[in-house]
Amino acid sequence: MTAHQNVPFGYLKRQFSDIDPYLEDIRALIQSTDLTLGKALVEFENKFAKICQLPYAIGVASGTDALILSLKIHGIGPGDEVITAANTFIATAGAIAMTGATPVFIDCDNGFVLDPEKIEDAISPKTKAIIPVHFTGNVADMESISKIANAHNLLIIEDGCQSIAATLNSKPVGSWGSTICFSLHPLKNLNVWGDGGVIVTQNEALADKLRLFRNHGLVNRDEVEFFGHNSRLDTLQAVIGNRIIDSVLEITERRIQISKKFDESFANLYPRVRVPTRRSEVRHVFHLYIVEAENRDKLLSFLIEKGIRAKIHYPTPIHLQKASAHLGYKEGDFPVAEAQAKSIITLPAHPYLTDSEVDYTIEKVNEFYAD
Amino acid sequence: MKINYTNLQNEHRAIKHELIEAIATVLDSGKFVAGPYVESFEDEFAKIIGNKYAISLNSGTDALILSLRALGVSAGDEVITVPNSYVSTASSIALVGAKPIFVDVDQHRNINPANIEDAISSRTKAIIPVHLGGKPADMDSINAIAVKHNLPVIDDCAQSVFSRYKEKCVGSLATLSCFSLHPLKNLNACGDGGIVTTNNAKLKERLLLLRNLGLRDRNNCVEWSSNSRLDSIQAAILKVKLKYAEQQVMNRRSCVAGYISRIREIPQISLPKELPYENIAYHTFVIQCERRDDLKKYLEKLEIKTAIHYPVPIHLQAVSGSLGYKKGDFPETEKQSARILTLPIHSGIKDSQLDYICESIRGFYS
Repeated sequence: MTAHQNVPFGYLKRQFSDIDPYLEDIRALIQSTDLTLGKALVEFENKFAKICQLPYAIGVASGTDALILSLKIHGIGPGDEVITAANTFIATAGAIAMTGATPVFIDCDNGFVLDPEKIEDAISPKTKAIIPVHFTGNVADMESISKIANAHNLLIIEDGCQSIAATLNSKPVGSWGSTICFSLHPLKNLNVWGDGGVIVTQNEALADKLRLFRNHGLVNRDEVEFFGHNSRLDTLQAVIGNRIIDSVLEITERRIQISKKFDESFANLYPRVRVPTRRSEVRHVFHLYIVEAENRDKLLSFLIEKGIRAKIHYPTPIHLQKASAHLGYKEGDFPVAEAQAKSIITLPAHPYLTDSEVDYTIEKVNEFYAD
Repeated sequence: MKINYTNLQNEHRAIKHELIEAIATVLDSGKFVAGPYVESFEDEFAKIIGNKYAISLNSGTDALILSLRALGVSAGDEVITVPNSYVSTASSIALVGAKPIFVDVDQHRNINPANIEDAISSRTKAIIPVHLGGKPADMDSINAIAVKHNLPVIDDCAQSVFSRYKEKCVGSLATLSCFSLHPLKNLNACGDGGIVTTNNAKLKERLLLLRNLGLRDRNNCVEWSSNSRLDSIQAAILKVKLKYAEQQVMNRRSCVAGYISRIREIPQISLPKELPYENIAYHTFVIQCERRDDLKKYLEKLEIKTAIHYPVPIHLQAVSGSLGYKKGDFPETEKQSARILTLPIHSGIKDSQLDYICESIRGFYS
């Protein structure tokens, strides 16, 4: 039995152990005072668009704002319904609600993404859009979702907040929606030193409109075309992003490598530990490594006691949160999401783990079930 | 002689070592979102303003939006404000689904309290006075009307941090006070930022939820909301800036005094007045003048940079088409918008620059 190790969930101190280059860049920016919608932001947006293999990227204040702006720019508002998954991060639902529209939830599948077969039953005359979430870095079944959305004339906004560089059938996420929304929050695969987000689109006219919409609707200093938000990715954060973005693919590869090792080891613990179905047509980017586990709560306590900072994403599905009370959902409405909420556990699987920490995690999970 | 509109480069050069150190400390803590640096800045700011609570956010615009939402303002409601402010004042109202109702300003370019009551309807939910350029609005009169009609007051303090009105700081005189911490403001981060101050504990609690996705804790979302937070590194930067804020205000006031003493007797110009019970922390120094556009061009040729805040009032912008306003609706605002000119008042303006600028203005009118 190996000695106790602390396996952290967060990795910021390791990632930024050598901060001098970053501070140099920030020093130069502060001196230039090019702090709002500056050159470094444009540079970052161009690099980001390249990573996404899509033409236009617009830096905004957060992933949540990316979703809100994407919905509002299409006129989604009071009286409308927008479909999304019951197991996503609450920000997806919050963004819908911030437009005045009503979130409508559907169940997810074994891979933690939205189940296309559940969509049609959730469509009503008020439905205007669907937000598939590429949850954990898996990619939703966009081919099926697109077919249904097109048949019903629904807007698709992809919630890609956890999925930068993910692909489906070699097509990058964002290939199907009117826009795709990314988060640059400090705990994401591509992360900055504060809140941040990016909207990516293939539509040039939409991109131009979004650039106005994030900046008070100002065509120029003195002319307001429409009422807009203030939701801009700080140029200072773009400076940080510019230093990290070149290593996104390397970061992704390391996450995939660690997750593969976990998958292979935990296959031996089936059915007590259940690894989600891995679709061969998906490049999963493992923002979160989640499995379903028997005795989940005890396993969680055990791992934490052993120094492994496991977590749950998320113990209470959205439809059962207090915020959803007025929407009329109840326990039993989304059996897959509800069952998963009781059994899922997230293990640290970030690129700054050592091989020894990965092995230690595998060892401890096995130890828990070794009776 | 070239005169720039701001002097931010030099101001940053003087303190960039401190700013970088502050950022490095945040990095050591690994706490980029929320946490002790944000709380420390909020506590210090609340103390300075003289209100119990300060809630930091992503921008001044968000401060207005979340304040309106905290008060339950939404579709079908009306909010009274002024048409001569920066567009955010009006857009924040529209973005929560409510209707901006404009009211004309007075000779001091702030909301004219005498115009407010006529604009109140059964749908009015709040009044947003603006302290334009740092000049305090007449809060005693505004608050008296608000109390009479049982309306909350959200004051737009985006341009007035450190200004004082009758011994109290602007920002301690309303239900909710909204500040901007944008890089071009008198208290300025190195990115977007905003902050609300209030003495109302319930509203403080609402704002803490509203800025953080409605999460009471990691696993409990009690209401739907968006995400609007001041980054920790910006909070750390602002703590450094606070150390120099008082001196900056004094520098700007000294500039203004320098202008006034030099151009007060030019008949084609009228100068802003500071009333005896005010202490204006000038964000902008705005004169009103004849042949404003020609004067601006003339000064530009002499490499003197000026600005106009703002040439086209909100009610005459394309965006306001659906609101149904037209030219002539706000005569004082419209008259001022053709006459206002902002002169630079930053720390780089010394006596020799003041002499040059004022001689040039005198030259134009002679």
